[in-house]
Amino acid sequence: MLRQVLRKPLTKFGLVLVCLMPFAWLCSGIFLDGLGPNPAEYLIRSTGNWTLRFLCITLLVTPLRVVFNMPELLRFRRNLGVLTFIYALMHALCYSVFDMGLAWDEIVADIVKRPFIAVGFAGAVMLSLLAATSFNAAIKMLGAVRWRMLHRLVYAIAVLAILHFFWMRSGKQDFTEVFVYAGILGVLLGWRIWHAAHSRLQARL
Amino acid sequence: MVIPWIGYSLSDLIKRVEPLPGAKYLEFVTQADPQTMPGLRGGYIDWPYLEGLRMDEAMHPLSLLTFGMYGEVLPKQNGAPVRLVVPWKYGFKSGKSIVKIRFVEKQPVISWAKSAPQEYGFYSNVNPTVDHPRWSQASERRIGEGGLLDKKRKTLMFNGYEAQVASLYTGMDLAKNF
Repeated sequence: MLRQVLRKPLTKFGLVLVCLMPFAWLCSGIFLDGLGPNPAEYLIRSTGNWTLRFLCITLLVTPLRVVFNMPELLRFRRNLGVLTFIYALMHALCYSVFDMGLAWDEIVADIVKRPFIAVGFAGAVMLSLLAATSFNAAIKMLGAVRWRMLHRLVYAIAVLAILHFFWMRSGKQDFTEVFVYAGILGVLLGWRIWHAAHSRLQARL
Repeated sequence: MVIPWIGYSLSDLIKRVEPLPGAKYLEFVTQADPQTMPGLRGGYIDWPYLEGLRMDEAMHPLSLLTFGMYGEVLPKQNGAPVRLVVPWKYGFKSGKSIVKIRFVEKQPVISWAKSAPQEYGFYSNVNPTVDHPRWSQASERRIGEGGLLDKKRKTLMFNGYEAQVASLYTGMDLAKNF
């Protein structure tokens, strides 16, 4: 039953629609004055939070697929990855427009000067590489092996994202949420290491 | 945010209590009541929150013991019944709900400098020429003024009170004493 629902094209469409709801909600907040006293800061922070959340959801696909033996889930991985990129792009745009007023020279200076920004920028660049190679023709062009190597960058992106968030919160030493996201991503990456080691062991037996 | 605070100069109180000549700094102890302040349980700083000023800063007529804002008595969340406002330091150094003021000889260790010494110093003066370790302080956005797309304004030295307070810090390296 669940497998059949997952196979339907409408499910994929519905998933993307649901995932764009936070975005729609933030947009409506701009026009309905629903983003609190400092809307610029609210937009920058919430797009950052949603990027982290979608990164976790995207990295959850493979473990779920393997553990529950549900190859159908693979169909959503690309959509979720691209959605992660869209939220990251919004985050970078909000920072560039609201915080920096699109002064490119100041943005460049900020990236060079502040490790906190540099780490976020590096993660965003890597993420755009993945988004730019997220269609079938790109896989064919690169070859599956090289494509898979490239897309392992997502693990580096996860580490950079946590570091970026950690530095952001280090002013007030308020790390509770940082540890929650680090814990989730740690489990998701740890499972992959465990799974790779385990399959290799089984292959040998 | 530009807020019309209501209060009187802290110096009036200081003169009235006649501190000893050894009093070089003031330490402000603020309310820490776990019953009404559930956030204390998070415990990411060592409560109660402590603030401090150098005697000459505290004696400056702009350092305000504050009881109200916008023509009304201070709401609880803004630091009722009495808080500090030091306008050339943004909202830094403005301890809320003060329960004790101590006159001390040595520079007190204030809460933020204790919890993150690399990020916050004792003075916390508004200074566009000294970067915070993680961001520039050269420009600012006044909350409640203009739209989302308005350009940020250039931050003024000592939050625009340079003429009044710069003399307190002559000869000091403000990049070191941030």
